[in-house]
Amino acid sequence: MGILDRIREVVEGLTVHGQSTAILKVKAQIDNLFMIITVGDMLGVPILPPYYSLRLLPYVFPNIQNWKRYMLRERDFTDLVT
Amino acid sequence: MLNTPAPYILLGLVLYFLTYRFYARWVDKKIWETDPNRPTPSRLYFDGVEYFPVSKYVLFGYQFKSVAALGPIVGPLTAVLFFGWLPALLWVIFGNMFIGWAQDYSAMMMSVRNEGRSMGPITYKLLGDRARKILLVYLIFYLIIITAVFEWVIIDVLNRVPGTFTATLFVLFGGVIFGQLIFRMRMDVLLATLVALLIVLVGYFTVALIPAAQWPTTNFLDSPGFFTQYGFDPKLTYPGTFTVAFWLLVLSILYYIAATTPMPKFLLPTVYVGYLPSIIALVLVLLAALVTPITGLTIQQQAVKNLYVDPMANPQGGPVWPILFVTIACGAISGWHSLVSSGLTSKQLEYETDALPVGGGAMFTEGAVALSSIAAVMVLSQPPAGAAAYVQGASLLTTKMLQVPPIYMNILYGIFVTVMGLITSMLFVRVFRLIMAELFEDSPLGNKYISPIVLLIVAGFLAFVGSWTNLWVFFGGTNQLLAGLALLLIAIYLASIKKPSWYTLIPGVFMAITTLAALAWETYVYLLYALQNKPIGVQAAVAKLYGGAVVQISNFLSAAFGALLLVLGAVMTYYLFAGVARYRQKQ
Repeated sequence: MGILDRIREVVEGLTVHGQSTAILKVKAQIDNLFMIITVGDMLGVPILPPYYSLRLLPYVFPNIQNWKRYMLRERDFTDLVT
Repeated sequence: MLNTPAPYILLGLVLYFLTYRFYARWVDKKIWETDPNRPTPSRLYFDGVEYFPVSKYVLFGYQFKSVAALGPIVGPLTAVLFFGWLPALLWVIFGNMFIGWAQDYSAMMMSVRNEGRSMGPITYKLLGDRARKILLVYLIFYLIIITAVFEWVIIDVLNRVPGTFTATLFVLFGGVIFGQLIFRMRMDVLLATLVALLIVLVGYFTVALIPAAQWPTTNFLDSPGFFTQYGFDPKLTYPGTFTVAFWLLVLSILYYIAATTPMPKFLLPTVYVGYLPSIIALVLVLLAALVTPITGLTIQQQAVKNLYVDPMANPQGGPVWPILFVTIACGAISGWHSLVSSGLTSKQLEYETDALPVGGGAMFTEGAVALSSIAAVMVLSQPPAGAAAYVQGASLLTTKMLQVPPIYMNILYGIFVTVMGLITSMLFVRVFRLIMAELFEDSPLGNKYISPIVLLIVAGFLAFVGSWTNLWVFFGGTNQLLAGLALLLIAIYLASIKKPSWYTLIPGVFMAITTLAALAWETYVYLLYALQNKPIGVQAAVAKLYGGAVVQISNFLSAAFGALLLVLGAVMTYYLFAGVARYRQKQ
């Protein structure tokens, strides 16, 4: 990696990285809401009748593992700092 | 040559480089045994949101941005004014070489080896729930104190460097426009950045070229008669005045908006746009300090001024130990960094071997910022008190280097200090709101719109009655104690996995004892002044305006704060010492 690329990446970290991560978190929260509504019964929150959940399953399947991990992960006040 | 700041700053940079090259790498290889093939949390728990691998250069920039704010600037300059530049320089160099980087890097590694967990869950895992709760209460007080301190620092600069407010407004406006262009109009980031930069530049040149734009003038809301009546200097900032109340209101409105609006609308774009001129300012002042033998600026400050200052004669001082070690927090070592290192950064490290350049490298770079702050004050013969000294010194250094009219650099550094303070304070108020929401879910205190008001009232009161320098020591005390606790926690973790822990244990014990002593000292000073019903330093203005009772109440409140922090810190230290003994015995 050339010196200019390194400088570009450092500037990216100084300026937009925090911003893009924060936006990703906002997007993930909205996605998670959708997942809870559609396949929430996997976590014990039945909202939609299972018929519709099954119809939607092929579309949400790729996100299920990450969603479960995100929702069930231990959260702490020190996570709020960043 | 030796009468310029350059050789001392260069010495510091060389020592940092050698520490990084040899000591830090030795710890990295021999103690933590980092391995690029061992999977990191970013690869193990990839979720594309928090956990995803990021280049070490990007993470270095992010880590540096997250740890460096007003701390490495205000702390060193205050220490130079109290004790002289030599003690400040030695602490910034040796503190960073043996303690600062070790904490940042090790906290990051500890988190990486614990599935990317932050300090709270690791404390819970190693020491139990009570220790975690103490840490939480500690963090709340820390946020109140740091908000008050930064409010006063920003107000002092806004008041004493006319034009800063107008220029800062343009920066904030640029941030809002940038946010709208990106999120509403879906404009390209580079193009939107150029538009925002253009707005910032328009503000900058408007203030520099049009004297009428240098509004408001110093103490604009208070009549000159008020200052002559009490024998005050009309060029300084005095707590309790209408001007201070006005600025506090302006800041509180800004903080409130930042804490309650969605992040992409105000906070994130403002941080982004505000950071662009700040990078330029930081690089310029460091370069200017290194070329002082060419520009001809010499050291005007005494190497050693005092090693002990009687608190009744000069309440901002005290004995060099422990006060110096808490006056300079960021730049030498800071507990806040352990929270950042174990927060997002550890979740995004691509390889274990990246932890040293990211955590250690960012801390050494912050040390360079602290060195440049010392250099800025060194060249001033009669520095003003507070952050205005940095603005004056940094603009003197850079003006000589760039050969431009002083007003340009004055405005640049005025914007720099104000924007850096604003950005971090806005984030602190937001973090406070989130923590309160977690703690008091169903109570009004946890309400999104109420909890920031609580913080702003308490912090605003502390800033209004103006004991900022003493509060700075409290901030340093809480911050440094947090660092001591983090170092001891790392020592416990290392002992639990049967690794040598001396390199964090010794600094951890030193920091814990030093900071507890500093908190005890400062509590004693506040109590002494409260019992004797005497105002501390600039509080004299408040005493004359509102009566001694207001000052006395504020000093009792500060003493109570100090006592509480001292007790909490002592209990936490006890838990940690007991933990170290327990795990070392097992080892």
